[in-house]
Amino acid sequence: MRRRTFLALAAAWLALWAGRDAAAAERSVTVFAAADLAFAFRELAPRFEGATGVRLTLVFGSTGNFAQQIRHGGPADVFFAADASFVDRLIVEGALLRETRTRYAQGRVVLATARGAGPRLRALDELLGPRVRHVAIANPAHAPYGRAAEEVLRRSGLWEALRPKLVYGENVRHALQFLQTGAADAGIVARSVADAPEIEWAPVDPALHAPLDQVAAVVRRSPRPELGLALIRFVTGAEGRPVLRRYGFRVPGEL
Amino acid sequence: MDLFPLWLSLRVALSATALTLAVGIPVALLLARVRFAGRGLLEAVVVLPLVLPPTVLGYYLLVVIGSRGPLGRALAAVGLELAFTWWAAVLAASIGSVALLIKSAQAGFETVDRQLEQAARTLGRSEWSVFWSVTLPLAWRAVLAGAVLAFCRALGEFGITLMVAGNIPGRTQTLPLAIYDRVQAAQMDEAHALALIAVGIVVVLVFGLSRVARLRY
Repeated sequence: MRRRTFLALAAAWLALWAGRDAAAAERSVTVFAAADLAFAFRELAPRFEGATGVRLTLVFGSTGNFAQQIRHGGPADVFFAADASFVDRLIVEGALLRETRTRYAQGRVVLATARGAGPRLRALDELLGPRVRHVAIANPAHAPYGRAAEEVLRRSGLWEALRPKLVYGENVRHALQFLQTGAADAGIVARSVADAPEIEWAPVDPALHAPLDQVAAVVRRSPRPELGLALIRFVTGAEGRPVLRRYGFRVPGEL
Repeated sequence: MDLFPLWLSLRVALSATALTLAVGIPVALLLARVRFAGRGLLEAVVVLPLVLPPTVLGYYLLVVIGSRGPLGRALAAVGLELAFTWWAAVLAASIGSVALLIKSAQAGFETVDRQLEQAARTLGRSEWSVFWSVTLPLAWRAVLAGAVLAFCRALGEFGITLMVAGNIPGRTQTLPLAIYDRVQAAQMDEAHALALIAVGIVVVLVFGLSRVARLRY
């Protein structure tokens, strides 16, 4: 009989929690946002919440991963991608609303040096030097900033020579972390996340990589598409633009 | 500090352990006792989750339970959603940890003296009764050790969960996901605190149980 009591307890315990997810979702908009937006959006979110009374749930991660999740019913209301191609594919597949597609920023990469690794690197070819043992970039296979970093290195003729030194982060924040921990001495990361205390950076000629057009769109499954659209307008509007610019994005109007 | 990830993780790990016991014990018994065609194949399938990278496993699971997947669509037809809920995290944790329970329990069942079971049968006990009053009591230490390992693995599950449950704060962000998120956001104090909590739970559990039950892993 102990067994039956135990089973009843377990069932009750499970049932107790089953209904909670839906309730928690009531008044909030879930945002899937590219990793490079982490710092800018943490600043913008409270302002949007204050202005609209809508609660934002921010989820930061890799654009490629989010695209997979949205394709398979991920619970996002709005998707801020670091790269237009993922958004455009999802629009064609019908997972995102075409009429809400908005280019909200353009990303740039910088040459970053970990503070512990000696004086700041100023030019890309200094990466070849012996004091740089590991160069961190995001994974070029699926992370937009990884692709940009690869392009920069290829166009400056350094790719082949640097390959043994490269270490890949899952996304650009992960690559940044290699630098912050000192595991990598240098790296090519997003300008928008480069203002970290453990890091110094130097600009990279924007002509060396195709512009990183960052595009947002509302998810078709969203029960409240107007709220997602409101957030896109807020980010690209008078309040959002200066913040994005401060984190090193180029913004609509100057694109 | 927001402790939601802690409560969620405990809930998920406990639920996953329960599910793992329910599914794993019959499979362990089957592997320990019955010779059948395809037994080797089943053994391989059981350990597969330990071999495949969690994110890969998570992707395949998402394809099955997502809104386009066969299971996802079947569930949606009756108004249920599994992907990106905490149930998805339970499923992820169960898949990640069930092999540990099965292998440990299987080893336990294999050491049980079958003559004792025979004796119970000659005394008129049913198979069900033999299992509960002879086999399980003799193998319980191995089963419990497996359950503890499974619980720990479930508590630490990361890759499959990230893929099928998302990393949604306040809904599906479990303790490991929360730690990862804090580290990425350079909020190291919170990351350390959460990691310390996770370590604390496991140390207390493993140490406590090994004292009480003298478990061997």
